Amino acid sequence: MHSNSAKSNFWHKFYCSSFFDISLFITLVLILVGFFFQGSQNLGYEWQWEQIPSFIFSYEDGNLVLGPLMQGLGVTLKISAISLVFAFILGLGTALLRLSNSFVGQALSLFYLETIRNTPLIIQIFFIYFVVGPVVGLGRFPSAILALSLFEGAYASEIFRAGIVSITRGQWEGAHSLGLTTFDTYRYVILPQAIRRILPPLTSQIISLIKDSALVSTIAIYDLTMQAQSLISETFLTFELWFTVAVIYLMVTVTLSLLVGYLEVRFQIND
Amino acid sequence: MAFKNIGDYIIKAVKVNKTFPNGVQALVDFDNQVHRGEVVVIIGPSGSGKSTFLRCLNGLEEIDSGSIVIDGIPLDNKKKNLINIRKEVGMVFQSFNLFPHMTVLDNLNLAQLRVRKKSKGEATDTSMNLLEKVGISDKAKAYPIQLSGGQQQRVAIARALAMRPKVMLFDEATSALDPEMVGEVLDVMKNLAREGTTMVCVSHEMGFAREVSDRVIFMDAGAIVESGTADHFFDSPKEERTKLFLSQIL
Repeated sequence: MHSNSAKSNFWHKFYCSSFFDISLFITLVLILVGFFFQGSQNLGYEWQWEQIPSFIFSYEDGNLVLGPLMQGLGVTLKISAISLVFAFILGLGTALLRLSNSFVGQALSLFYLETIRNTPLIIQIFFIYFVVGPVVGLGRFPSAILALSLFEGAYASEIFRAGIVSITRGQWEGAHSLGLTTFDTYRYVILPQAIRRILPPLTSQIISLIKDSALVSTIAIYDLTMQAQSLISETFLTFELWFTVAVIYLMVTVTLSLLVGYLEVRFQIND
Repeated sequence: MAFKNIGDYIIKAVKVNKTFPNGVQALVDFDNQVHRGEVVVIIGPSGSGKSTFLRCLNGLEEIDSGSIVIDGIPLDNKKKNLINIRKEVGMVFQSFNLFPHMTVLDNLNLAQLRVRKKSKGEATDTSMNLLEKVGISDKAKAYPIQLSGGQQQRVAIARALAMRPKVMLFDEATSALDPEMVGEVLDVMKNLAREGTTMVCVSHEMGFAREVSDRVIFMDAGAIVESGTADHFFDSPKEERTKLFLSQIL
C-alpha cells in the first residue's frame, strides 16, 4: 500500500515536470517534420536551400546588395507603416465621432464601420484600385495605402472606442469639474489612460495590418509576397521561398510583439 | 454659532426641476440661496436629491427647468458660461476622481495650466503651497495609488482649490474613507470653512455640521423639508421626518 502510493507520487511528479512537457513538445515537432520530409521526398521534391541567401543579400563588386526579398520587405514595411498612421488617425476619429453627441457623426462612423468590416479586404483593394482609382486618379501605391488604412481603421476604431468607454465616468466628472474642455479631457485624462489599456489589442491589429498587406500583391505591388511569387515563377523553388517568406513575416511581427511587450511594462499604470 | 450673514448671494437656485431618464424626480421646484462665505451642510436620506443638487450647481447634471446663477453667471446652454462656472466652482467627490496616470503634482497642475493658462512655475508654486496646506507636500511626486484614501481625498481637495474657486462643493467627501481617515479630511474641510470659503457640503458628519456650518438643510424627495442652524437640528427639529432621520444617523 505504502510503496504503491510512493510510486504513483513519482509518476505524478514526472507528468507535472517541465522536462516532460518539453520532451513531449520536441517529440511532436520531430514527428511533424518527419512526416513533412517524407511527404516531400515522395513528391520527388529537390531541396535547393543554397539559392535562397542570394535572394536576401548578395555581394556584387564587394558591395552588399539587397536581394529581391529584402526589397519586397522594404515595400511591405513602408506600406504598413504609412497605412498604420492613417489607420490610427481614422480609427481614433471614428471612435470619437461615434461617441459624440452629433447624430450625423454617429451615423457616418457607423456606416463606415459596418461597410468596411462586412466586406472582404481583397474586394476593397480591387474596388479602390480598379473603380475609385481611375476616377480620382489614384495610383497603385496610394490605392493600396487607402484600402489598408480604411480596413484596419475600422477595426482600430472599435478598439479605441472600447478603451475610451472603459474609463470610468468619475474621470470625466473630475476633469469637467475643474473646467477642462472636452478636448482637453480627452487629450490629458481619457486617452492617456485608454491607450495603455488597449495596447495589447492594438498590437494585434498592427500585426494583422502587416500580414494583410500581403494582399496588395494582387494589384501587382512588389511587396514581400509579390517578390516571392515572381521568384517562384522564375526558379520553381516553391517550398524554400514560401518557408523563407513566412519566416521573414514572423520575424517582423515577433519583433513588434516583443517591443510592445516592453512598452506595456514601461507604461504599467496602477488603477 | 452666530449666523454670519456676510455678503450677497453667490448661489441662486430658483424652482429647479430635475427628473432622471428612469423617471425618478430628483429635484422638485427646488429653491436655495447661498451667501458668499456661508457654509451649508445638506443632509437627507439617499435618493433625496442632495447630490443631484450639488451636481447641478456645476453642470454635471443638466436641469430640466428653473434657473441657477452662480456669482452672476447663469448656468445655461452656453458652453462659455458652463466653463466659466466650473472655473469658479470646485468639487470634491466621494470617490476622489484623481487622475491615476499623473503624479499628485500633475493632478494639481493640469487645470491651472490648461484652464487658468498659468505658467508651469506659477502653477507648481500654487500646487506646492496647497499640498503643504493639506499636509502632504512630501507626496507631490507620488501617484494617487500610492496614497491612502485620506491622503487621496486631501489631494482631491487641493486639486479643486488650485483653481482658486469661489465656491467649494463636497459630495459625501468622507463617505468612502476608512473610519480612521475621516478625521484628517474633516480637519482640512474645517480649516477651509474657518477661512471663510463658501462651501456646500453633502455630508452626514453631524460633528462637522455643528462645528463649522452656518446652515443645515434637510432634504427629502427632492425638496427642502427643514432648514436652520446645526444647533436647531440637534436641539429642536420641528418636522417628524427630520426627527426620524436624525434618530437614525445620530
